Amino acid sequence: MLFADTVTSDPLVHKPKNIIIMLVLGLVVFSLFGLNDTIFGEFMRPVIGEPTESGIFGNIAIAVVMSLIFVGNIVLIGFLPFRYQVIVVWIQLALLFLSFFYSFGLNFEFIRSKIWFMISQGVFTTLYISAISIMLASIVAIFGAIAKLSSNGFAFAIASFYTSFFRGLPLLMQVYLIYLGLPQLGYVIDAVPAGILALTLCYGAYMTEIFRAGIQSINKGQWEASRSMGFGFGLTMRRIILPQAMPLIIPPTGNQFIAMLKDSSLVSVIGVWELMFLARTLGNKDFKHMEMLITAALIYWCLSICLELIQSRIERHYRTISH
Amino acid sequence: MKINRRIFAIATGAALALSTSMSFAGEALDRVMSEGVLKVATDANWAPQSFLNDDNEMDGFDVDVAKEVAKRLGVEAEFVTPSWDIITAGNWNGRWDLSVGSMTPTKSRAEVLSFPGVYYYTPASVAVHKDSPYKDVSELNDKKVGASIASTFELYLQHDLTIDAEGVPAFEYKITPGELKSYKDGTAALDDLRLGDGVRIHGMVGSLPAILSGIESNYPLRVLGDPVFYEPLALAIDRGDDAFNDKLAGIIADMKSDGTLSAMSVKWYGIDYSSSAGASN
Repeated sequence: MLFADTVTSDPLVHKPKNIIIMLVLGLVVFSLFGLNDTIFGEFMRPVIGEPTESGIFGNIAIAVVMSLIFVGNIVLIGFLPFRYQVIVVWIQLALLFLSFFYSFGLNFEFIRSKIWFMISQGVFTTLYISAISIMLASIVAIFGAIAKLSSNGFAFAIASFYTSFFRGLPLLMQVYLIYLGLPQLGYVIDAVPAGILALTLCYGAYMTEIFRAGIQSINKGQWEASRSMGFGFGLTMRRIILPQAMPLIIPPTGNQFIAMLKDSSLVSVIGVWELMFLARTLGNKDFKHMEMLITAALIYWCLSICLELIQSRIERHYRTISH
Repeated sequence: MKINRRIFAIATGAALALSTSMSFAGEALDRVMSEGVLKVATDANWAPQSFLNDDNEMDGFDVDVAKEVAKRLGVEAEFVTPSWDIITAGNWNGRWDLSVGSMTPTKSRAEVLSFPGVYYYTPASVAVHKDSPYKDVSELNDKKVGASIASTFELYLQHDLTIDAEGVPAFEYKITPGELKSYKDGTAALDDLRLGDGVRIHGMVGSLPAILSGIESNYPLRVLGDPVFYEPLALAIDRGDDAFNDKLAGIIADMKSDGTLSAMSVKWYGIDYSSSAGASN
């Protein structure tokens, strides 16, 4: 069940029927893969002889062993309490991924020689562009939300046009439009400001809707009560409405920040040397693309994990923890 | 090497018509001389022409040429790396002064850019997988062939290539691909080709130096037949500054006659590509 209750039952993975199904599925999948010429074939060498010559017998034998290990692992994890299950599964998945990357035969010397530059130049640029953009976008969003909720026709029209337009265009296209379009109007904008402007406008539009929903969720009675006390609009917003709306606004805003961190890679097209640009460029000369792409992927992931942790901290602060 | 897509040509054409050329004669040259900095737009993903070297600085044949041009102007070279389509779209508004990016001077580009000087010629060749059976480029007819998007190679495969420059040998269309696959750059096409003959593509058309440097990095490829065409590669500047144009043309002519360009070409390619193409091959 998706909520904590007092009915206890065996974990699904301990029911004999499920175990048998998993064993059969594992057997079929592993034998279809044909693991003879992989590292698993090497492990089975004492039993099946030369792996590449063992044919269908070797194939099935490997599949049986693999599926027994696989299912045994799942059954064992089933005995653990929730918390340890999470930790063990995370570690196993991470090891699986790392061994997957490791099997590419990457050149770690090359990664070591480039990683400092990727962090000092790439991560730094990515972070400051994202951070400035998310701050500006929040400011845009709060005005947008107020305008969208107001009874002023002009304000509503402008705000709804803005959200419709900037949510309706691909971010990459906005980057191009701002970088190439603004000079036509007489202002030559540099690459970094153009990128920040595009991210701000695009994410400001999304966040306008988040802020609007947050403000709208506050009961009408709160407005009426504050008006009856003689509060003006600004005071009502600052002291009554926003403090209550924040717990609803913060979690999706954190989401937006994580999304923006990755979308900031789009400004690489106008020549900003951020993480994605360096990932594509540094390995190019020596044809070491996978090295740089995987390194950048892991860096992005680490950054996102940090942001997720910060976000869950903030959420806890507002006591809206879901699990 | 790559060609402006038509949409950009139309867009910038329209923009030009609206803004009626904002540059004046001498403006770019004045800016360069007064600031003491020549801003050069290059691709950072185009080894061995231009790339980031082990010290994380711009390096390569194009970069060397740009530095030499700046030196002869008596200024410092500074590099920016906007994407290729932004460079070829023209109308730079002084963001950078010069493109040293192995650009082919074509008719559609000449509408938005000026080409002060051709500084070398590269052979365009066909690459196939090492284990493939092909003996002649015509065997790639009706096969899947790749090329980088907005490039002369793509136009060649589309039978739509016009090069307007002197000293370029005539060529004929020898390949009619069954399916043309366009890639972000030449390296991406090589990456797909290395997977095997016909796994994603059967062959690709690209610049010979790029293919050779891939083979040097142990890509399982080989060059098929003779080069299909030669392309002249030129400096490019924004339109409307004749003084700057003439100055650069003079510098390139000097660099050709005193052997600087051939020395640089031999340094980066091992072959002198700087003289007229047909003669050297």
